[in-house]
Amino acid sequence: MKTFICVMAAVVLFSTSCFAGVKTTGRGDTLNFDAAAIPSSMRASFDVMRIRCIKCHTMERTVVAITTGVAPITGQPFDRAATRAYGIKMLRKPDSNMNKQEVKVCVDLMNYLLDEASR
Amino acid sequence: MNYRVITVVLLFLAFALPLVCAQKAHAIAAFTRQHKTECSTCHTLYPELNEYGQAFLKNGYVYSEKRKGDKGADKTAAAGKGEAGQADAGKSDKNEGIRLSGIPELLPLSITANQSIVYNDKAFDGDKWDFSTRSVVLQAGGAFRELAGFYATFDLFTHSSNSLLNDSNKLDELFMVWRHLFGTPVNIKFGKFEPRLSLWKKSDKIIVTSFATSAFKAGSSPFSMETTQDALEANAVVGRRLFLAGGVVDGKGRNNVDAYGHVSVKFGGTDFLGNEPELDFDRESIWDYLALTLAAYGYSGRNSDPFVTSIRNNFYRVGGDVDLLYKRLRLRGSVVTGRDTNPDFVPVTEHAKPLVFASELEYLFGSPVNFAGIFRYEYEDTGTGKVRRYIPAVAYIPLQNVKLVLQYNYENTSFINNKIALLDVSFSF
Repeated sequence: MKTFICVMAAVVLFSTSCFAGVKTTGRGDTLNFDAAAIPSSMRASFDVMRIRCIKCHTMERTVVAITTGVAPITGQPFDRAATRAYGIKMLRKPDSNMNKQEVKVCVDLMNYLLDEASR
Repeated sequence: MNYRVITVVLLFLAFALPLVCAQKAHAIAAFTRQHKTECSTCHTLYPELNEYGQAFLKNGYVYSEKRKGDKGADKTAAAGKGEAGQADAGKSDKNEGIRLSGIPELLPLSITANQSIVYNDKAFDGDKWDFSTRSVVLQAGGAFRELAGFYATFDLFTHSSNSLLNDSNKLDELFMVWRHLFGTPVNIKFGKFEPRLSLWKKSDKIIVTSFATSAFKAGSSPFSMETTQDALEANAVVGRRLFLAGGVVDGKGRNNVDAYGHVSVKFGGTDFLGNEPELDFDRESIWDYLALTLAAYGYSGRNSDPFVTSIRNNFYRVGGDVDLLYKRLRLRGSVVTGRDTNPDFVPVTEHAKPLVFASELEYLFGSPVNFAGIFRYEYEDTGTGKVRRYIPAVAYIPLQNVKLVLQYNYENTSFINNKIALLDVSFSF
């Protein structure tokens, strides 16, 4: 019984938030996708997202949008149409300093994560 | 002259250096607090609006419309998966009573203050340095769910030498926008506000001084396009890229009303409802980044001598604006002309035909954007002499809610050349 309690306590202590289909790490401002769970073919895309997106906002915003299907600021559905629209918005926004190729791979990655989250 | 320039630059650096080390931006003005988003969602360098901010303004301070067939955000959030979804749903549900009442969850108030150091080479009183130019403005803005938007600005303090002081009372703006009247695209705006003439509100700029086209006055006439007035306006976005506005203004102390109209159209870029343009990720096109907005407007009114109301001035204004945006570059142009039958309210009438032109070139630097270089040229002929202004300026935001502007106004008139250097620090919270 003591062992069981210790194991459960360890589980509780070291557990972190995760979502049905998308693995995440951290919480609050540090909430992010679990890099280890990103397929190797999309790791480069994840690096682009990880570096570019946090110039203006935390990754929490992106994680919440993908895992809940709701854009946290506007309250509008976050689906494939939305990932494309946000991609275009970030492309055109000087703050992001992203080129088309970078935006394209981020949109593809978000679409993949949306699919994973919906499983 | 050189040591003066050096002094101004050193002062600028002295203000800027303690702020440079800051790493994170936490802009906390009313809309930021309400929507939990950063200032740069709607502004380039505040208070200048970006395309999305323009759409937010036109949409009555409500984020862009829900797409047809979409469920409400609250329902979707409540059905969200995982911890974050539940947290988000919790945020929506915990104040249901407040939400159902239509009351904004947070008190939608903010304060903007600015303090300037002005060096005027030709100061009338010989006091070339002025450290006392400042203003404090209380702002309120938001929306009652999606039914109506509201906005108010109250001048808590305005330095008397501020040329923008346009009324003796302290309430500068107070209006409500009834959105989408009976399901139509028409919004009804009522209260005290700046009649929609120019593409840009008087606050929609980075540097301190207003566009001459909006700020100029003919003779002793108190009318300027940026003056807030008691008005009733109907406006609508038609077909996403056409904006129409028309309204009437109540003239004080007389039965007649002034009337005005505005039409603007946008090619490329985010539409007037905040929707991004369609573009091909695999092909480059100039329209991926180019946005061109054109506007035309007219105002017909009359005013009278405040002491001898029988002496009247009938006037009209017609004008046009162009706003060109390409990546980090923005070019704005504006021209206004018109006619005043008696702008000086004298017994023997003297007509005036003002002609004012202004253009501004702006380039944004940084990622995120935190610096801007600006050059403005203005030409003003209101019948009392021609004035040309050359205004180079730089602006820097160490945080999204703190802005420093260093500008130099070289004003060339028929009689005198004015040289004014100005360092302005403004912040909003």
